[in-house]
Amino acid sequence: MQADRTLSRRALLARILPATTAGMVTSALAGCTNGGGQEIIYWTGWSGSELNAQEKLVSDFNNGNPRVRARILTQFGPSGYQKVRIAFAGGATPDVMSTVWAEELASYALRGVLTPLDAYLARSGRDLEREFTPGVARMLQVDGKVYGLAVTTNTTFIAYNKAIFREVGLDPERPPRTIEEFDLAAKLCTKTAANGGYERYGIRPTVLALWAYVFGGQWYDPETRTITANHPNNIRALEWMRTYSKNYDLRRMQAFETTFGSNETPSGPFFVGKVAMWQTGEWAQESIRRYAPDLDWGWFALPSPPEGRENVTGAGGSVFVIPAACKNKDAAWAFLNWITLPDPVEKFCTAVHNVPPLIEVGKRPYFQNDPLYRFCVPIAQGQNSFGPPPIPTWPTFNREIGRVEEKVMLGGADPKTTLDALQRAMEKELRQTMREVGS
Amino acid sequence: MNIKAVVGAGHGARDRSAHEMRTGLMFAAPWLIGFTVFFVYPVLASFYYSLCTYDAIRPPQFIGLENYRQLFFEDELFWKSLGNTMYMVIFGLPIGLLASLAIALLLNQKIKGIAFYRTAFYVPSITPVVATSILWLWLLNPEMGLINVALSKIGISGPAWLTDPAWAKPALILMSLWGAGGGMVIYLAALQDIPESLYEAASLDGATSTTQFWNITLPMLTPVILFNLIIGLIGAFQYFTQAYVMTAGGPQDSTTSYALHLFNRAFLDFKMGYASAMAWILFVITLIAALLIFKSSARWVYYSGEDR
Repeated sequence: MQADRTLSRRALLARILPATTAGMVTSALAGCTNGGGQEIIYWTGWSGSELNAQEKLVSDFNNGNPRVRARILTQFGPSGYQKVRIAFAGGATPDVMSTVWAEELASYALRGVLTPLDAYLARSGRDLEREFTPGVARMLQVDGKVYGLAVTTNTTFIAYNKAIFREVGLDPERPPRTIEEFDLAAKLCTKTAANGGYERYGIRPTVLALWAYVFGGQWYDPETRTITANHPNNIRALEWMRTYSKNYDLRRMQAFETTFGSNETPSGPFFVGKVAMWQTGEWAQESIRRYAPDLDWGWFALPSPPEGRENVTGAGGSVFVIPAACKNKDAAWAFLNWITLPDPVEKFCTAVHNVPPLIEVGKRPYFQNDPLYRFCVPIAQGQNSFGPPPIPTWPTFNREIGRVEEKVMLGGADPKTTLDALQRAMEKELRQTMREVGS
Repeated sequence: MNIKAVVGAGHGARDRSAHEMRTGLMFAAPWLIGFTVFFVYPVLASFYYSLCTYDAIRPPQFIGLENYRQLFFEDELFWKSLGNTMYMVIFGLPIGLLASLAIALLLNQKIKGIAFYRTAFYVPSITPVVATSILWLWLLNPEMGLINVALSKIGISGPAWLTDPAWAKPALILMSLWGAGGGMVIYLAALQDIPESLYEAASLDGATSTTQFWNITLPMLTPVILFNLIIGLIGAFQYFTQAYVMTAGGPQDSTTSYALHLFNRAFLDFKMGYASAMAWILFVITLIAALLIFKSSARWVYYSGEDR
């Protein structure tokens, strides 16, 4: 009797299980072709008003393309980007995602988890090199193949407080162009307090990774495929930055700076006139409008030494990719192709206050009528826009450059010795990683 | 018949016990499965990964002890972060234990409104760490933070705290005292458990309150001190959140705790094998430290009923 019951229970299960599984599979398949269109899943890392802008674009796409339906899911914050790695590990990736940082692109591409987009671009009659700015186009390729597309780029510049320039006898309409003029302006704008601290200061240059390019250096040579961390011009850039740690008390500067919080709050040191110059990007205009609408300010490109590069800027940010495991690449491409076309890119860049990576969009009235964008667009479109080098170890490399900078600027380490050590460490790191990914 | 009955009964008993065993296992199964899948397997897997290079995307590749060799001989930050964590263990832990004991002794007095004071001291330890971290960022602000402003009132020019490598760790220890209320509650419970008769007998014998503290209160508290010490030790070795939230390991790696270095290696560099090796080293260190404390406890922990 008991045995019978067990058997019948088992028999029942044996009948139910395949049936439910089959049912689930059918309904999953049905989901793909629901409403006559194929559904694709799109992961984004944007949040807040930027997410709203993405959602608007996705619904525009869905309204205009009955054959493919995109569903947007947000993977917000640092853990969102970590989830991407786990999704790749488990093969549970969506069809399209913009939750990959430009600096991670090579790392994923060389591990074979991304779809090369060259054939799709060609099929849709698109041309990366012709449509995108040189810096962005370089950034999106790894070993000669395109692995991602961008919808924003940036221009780095120095914002300066015209009132302070006027006060200390600098011409507010003729900002510094050379390193010497820049150093002088920094010095003139600095006021020490009675207790030896600061009442106001000029600037504290940061981000060696970028200033190295200004001085004519580089971190990786794509021709010889070698790490160039101790490039003579990188050393020169760091030596220049170190003059600030010799001429100023950087620790007190930092302490002074933290008093006002970040320049993303109304009390930011630049907004309240406690720092005369601010190394920032085009998005700053929106922050100033919001937090310090009465500030009298201007901007200038990163000043350069005679043998260096002019109009240098960084490039980077989030990149759109199609994972290699995507089952429905044509539908994914339909969405990716659309969202990187001029009109959607213009809509997104104007909503999130970034420079467009498409050359054509930069020429449109919105960007040509605004004085700041008129200044930013040519720099972003120039040859001296540098994105992350196409090596899989760049996230680590970049962080280590930051540590070198801190060791030299605050710890008094020697620029050449530290960069030599970085060179050896990063050569080894790259060699090891290349062996692991089998390239 | 008789024999048959006995055998049958024996058989039935075995059957029944096997049946009970099965039922028992079935009831325990959700936990057993969860324990195996989410604990035993990951722990064993992490040991295997510690012998591999593993980026979480491609299958792990066995490389023997290479991760351990690199950690010991090439990674300067490994030693530095281990040193930072040891600093928290050696200085932070005893200071924390003393602070919570001191507060507990003060709050064990019979005064008016004691319940309010106990609550007031306990509340900070249940506020989320991230929230208190942000609060302390302001308190420790070198220019206008309450702490330095208060110091300047008595003529001391306060340090730059979290922006100075020499003061960042002391600042974090100072901040950790904010959470002393957790240990305090446990001490307080133990203090209330000490029989009043011991004190009565002692005072009849003419013992002063200092003598009573050293000969009654402290010995009676030792089991709880051991407990707080072990729990605190494990926590101190895993020191992470405050460093992650407040300083991100800076300035100049002075607050890069071992756990933070491990986290960065695992989730920024995706060196899962390397990070697993680090986790096993930390496990061994923690285990040895805990065992040493347990071994020594025979000499200083007093359980009531024992001779002294």
